[in-house]
Amino acid sequence: MNKYTVINPPSDFKVINTHVHNIDGVAKVTGRATYTFDVKLPNMLYGKILRSPHPHAKILNIDYNKALQLRGVIGVATGKDTLGVKQGIWRRYQDLCDEQILPVDKVRYIGEPVAAVAAITEEIAEQALNLIDIDYEVLPAVYEPMEAIKKDAPEIHEGFERNINVTRHIEWGDVEEAFEEAEYIREDWFKCGGQAHMCMETRAAVSDYTPDGKLTIYHSNQSPYYMQGLMAGVLGMREGDIRIISTYVGGGFGGKFELDGAIFCSAVLSKKLFRPVKIVFTREEDFIATKRRTPMFYYVRTGVKKDGTFCAREAKVFTNGGAYTGMGATALYLTGFFHSFPYRWPGYRYDGYRVYTNTLPSTSMRGFGAPQAMWCSEQQIEWIAADLGLDPIDMRRKNSHYEGYEVPGQATIASCGIDQCYDEIKKWIASKGKLPPNRSIGLSACGFMSGGIFNWFDTPYSFSSAVVTINQDGTVELHVGAQEIGQGSNTTMAIICAETLGVKIEDIKVHSGDTDHCPPDLGAWGSRQTLMSGNAVKMAAEDAKKQLLEFAYAQSGLNIVYDLDIKDRWVHAIARPERGYDYGELVKKALRGKDGQRIVGRGYYTPHRKGMISPAYSYMLQGVEVEVDEETGKIKLVDTMTAHDCGQPINHLGLIGQLEGAFSMAAGYGYLEYMPYEDGKLMNPNLVDYKMIRATEMPPANIAEIDTYEPEGPYGAKEAGEGLTNPTAAAIGNALFHRFGIQLKECPIRPEMILNGLKEKAGQDKAAGKDKPGKKK
Amino acid sequence: MGDPIICPVCGKKAKTGSAIDCARHMFGTGDKPHRQWVDAQGLSFIDLLIEQATTPGNKSYELLAEYIEKDAQKKAAEKKG
Amino acid sequence: MEKKKLRLTVNKQEYEVYINPKALLVEVIRDEIGLTGTKRGCDTVSCGTCTLMINGMSVKSCSILAMQAEGAEITTIEGLEDNGKLAPIQKAFIDHGSYQCGFCAPGMIMSAQALLNENPHPTEWEIREGIEGNICRCTGYNSIVRAIDATAKGAYKEDRS
Repeated sequence: MNKYTVINPPSDFKVINTHVHNIDGVAKVTGRATYTFDVKLPNMLYGKILRSPHPHAKILNIDYNKALQLRGVIGVATGKDTLGVKQGIWRRYQDLCDEQILPVDKVRYIGEPVAAVAAITEEIAEQALNLIDIDYEVLPAVYEPMEAIKKDAPEIHEGFERNINVTRHIEWGDVEEAFEEAEYIREDWFKCGGQAHMCMETRAAVSDYTPDGKLTIYHSNQSPYYMQGLMAGVLGMREGDIRIISTYVGGGFGGKFELDGAIFCSAVLSKKLFRPVKIVFTREEDFIATKRRTPMFYYVRTGVKKDGTFCAREAKVFTNGGAYTGMGATALYLTGFFHSFPYRWPGYRYDGYRVYTNTLPSTSMRGFGAPQAMWCSEQQIEWIAADLGLDPIDMRRKNSHYEGYEVPGQATIASCGIDQCYDEIKKWIASKGKLPPNRSIGLSACGFMSGGIFNWFDTPYSFSSAVVTINQDGTVELHVGAQEIGQGSNTTMAIICAETLGVKIEDIKVHSGDTDHCPPDLGAWGSRQTLMSGNAVKMAAEDAKKQLLEFAYAQSGLNIVYDLDIKDRWVHAIARPERGYDYGELVKKALRGKDGQRIVGRGYYTPHRKGMISPAYSYMLQGVEVEVDEETGKIKLVDTMTAHDCGQPINHLGLIGQLEGAFSMAAGYGYLEYMPYEDGKLMNPNLVDYKMIRATEMPPANIAEIDTYEPEGPYGAKEAGEGLTNPTAAAIGNALFHRFGIQLKECPIRPEMILNGLKEKAGQDKAAGKDKPGKKK
Repeated sequence: MGDPIICPVCGKKAKTGSAIDCARHMFGTGDKPHRQWVDAQGLSFIDLLIEQATTPGNKSYELLAEYIEKDAQKKAAEKKG
Repeated sequence: MEKKKLRLTVNKQEYEVYINPKALLVEVIRDEIGLTGTKRGCDTVSCGTCTLMINGMSVKSCSILAMQAEGAEITTIEGLEDNGKLAPIQKAFIDHGSYQCGFCAPGMIMSAQALLNENPHPTEWEIREGIEGNICRCTGYNSIVRAIDATAKGAYKEDRS
């Protein structure tokens, strides 16, 4: 039973979905916002990390005596200064806790930290790195998953046969029988690249360990609670003796809710030296030594009827896990699940294998495996429609999820607006009329989760909590564990609080990003906060309002059948809104009534019995208009329309920002952000060679917001912002397919792939009569 | 058909209790005891896993299901005798 | 290397500092003068988070030595507001939600202000070109373009009465 009450929201919201300004505005546009990058503490030292030049090697000996003699160097730390704890975020599964950060025995990827120096200036710390001598025994290395599973491949982690790190299996229906029913079967192989999070603020931490055994860490992260728990584990400390402060965070995108080299090495150094130590990654370090989006190899076999009804799908996926697990196990699971979205499959089977290699570990990144899944699924579906001569929108539509649908054994879809999304995109396409000859439109549908039901972190706490405290002047302290990383979480929580309590947005002060003062919350990942933290805030505000109104009821003399409410700071009977009084008066009465104690409301949320993945799903269909120069293969994005269902939008400006921002990141995954590796080394670890989309390349991002109501979400809300990273790569691929007939199997798309595709197609067209990849029955 | 099959390693009845569901359960669990049982039948757990991943169809699960079925029949016969 | 004396005029205030002559302007602004609004996000003069204005023109402060800025009027993000009153471009950013994590915002706002100083009525394309040197990972740029456009059209003109 849920512990909060969802009521039918009033259609005239005072704060929700209005033009509310982001509440961190003044700090962020005036330079007052202090990020970890800016933090300076008294007596602080600067830390630098020495990194492995080898992809796979035993550490035989580390000699840092010369470094210690350099004037200004205060100390050096290596794996020997740690407890040697193998940590990981999947705490419930000890095998998957495989990373020491400062390894004791061996290194497994180029760039892995091996030693850390603390000095009185950054320059001296950097010089000291050159004075550390390390004896390595270089071991054979392997870089590709299909090579790493061979019998003679080097063993990267002891006990993991054939370097298979995690396997995942999802299945429903009788898949063999479902394939028997199919009248057309197609199989394709795909390759999905990695991607760098490229947060504008690189990894940064300032750790301060004091003689009373307490550790304070300023850290750029997506979950102060996770950092607190993980650091306690690796340092052998109590969680309560560690304070994580993350007031302003310069972006996360899925890369900052695990321990990184900055927080770990600065804490180990500080614990050794009893002085604050600051470590900030250079942009190059951020590229080579922070986990990336998971590269994947997909095999997809799909069977449909000639009229386009979906029958069966079978997918087999290998992911390049890199040297450690990170969040890669979850990416492996989610990619297989969202590969089925947003469609009904009578028979569906997914087998996923995550393989260790001696490369940069791969982990979660906005979309969490779904952008890869859609790259494959949405393109193959488009090709099937073309093979059968069917309309791609109609074919998708007839097979889509609907409200009430049960993904067998996995999820109940309680709200779904995808059908209207098809209508909106059809309208948009029609409005464009005939396109110029060098342009084409591609589509992609998808769906995404609003937070996960899993507790692999093994927390005993509610997934989200909130506390509302009302001051004597009516202002409100809202304490949340939800983490602001730029997505607008502080503002969204303030909006929900203000709407529920019945006050104005400027009455709310949000406290977040400090484990000393805020309740635990799993943090900003998996698109969970609007639904989960939002529900906790709503419950807390309802609790506070109920307590306040007790005093109003007591003095109102109202008949029991009448209800009071507060709206826009106005206490009134719902039946007679014109009669009432100011909320401020009620607050003062309540304070006196409670013996001078402020009213405190508490709220929390944990999903119970909500399927295997998520309590709620958002849906969308995206169309992208693409122009391609046939001579150079260069892509230009001209226009885009996304029809989107996120239930009830809460933060209007935030939603637009999330949609436009997600598009820019997804477009990068589609055609710009290539990460070439050679023998385990990243070839473009800088912003000259790693292509980021610029203001001159971003097209208009039109939005059609479909209104639905999600019963599990606060006021009917679902996620918005991560799901939107999923469709774009496939939409771009489909645009190219429609213009040229080429079927691109690898992303990000590079110009030479288009040019080669065109050449191949010209050759194929010449030798007409060659078999198509699909098998007709 | 016979009685529902329970896992010879951990005693669990997987889903419908069919041999193939039990095979799925064994691969899904993938821990040492389950792997050892598969290898003890003369199969290679890892090779079956890789075959499942790299070829279309369900051959690995079907093959393992056959062995699980045989083992269940053997146990049932031993009980009777 | 021996430190040298340097006089810098930042936000209409003269500062006297002793610095390593190799120090970049961004390092001196942040570490010596203590104005941390200006950020740093790369080592290749690519990201724009260090953008400030020198004599009203936008400059990536990681691309010049501090010594080269002696004698010039440097304006950082902290210098845009006037006694607590935000500049029109800052009000526009807030009204349009033109920032999310905020790390690129100071540099972006300085580029925007410099653009408007030079070209008070830019077309949409000119706006995009004007901020091409600033990377934003969060917003997708369009809300920033809208804010600059609205500012150029006088939407946030200061009340001079």
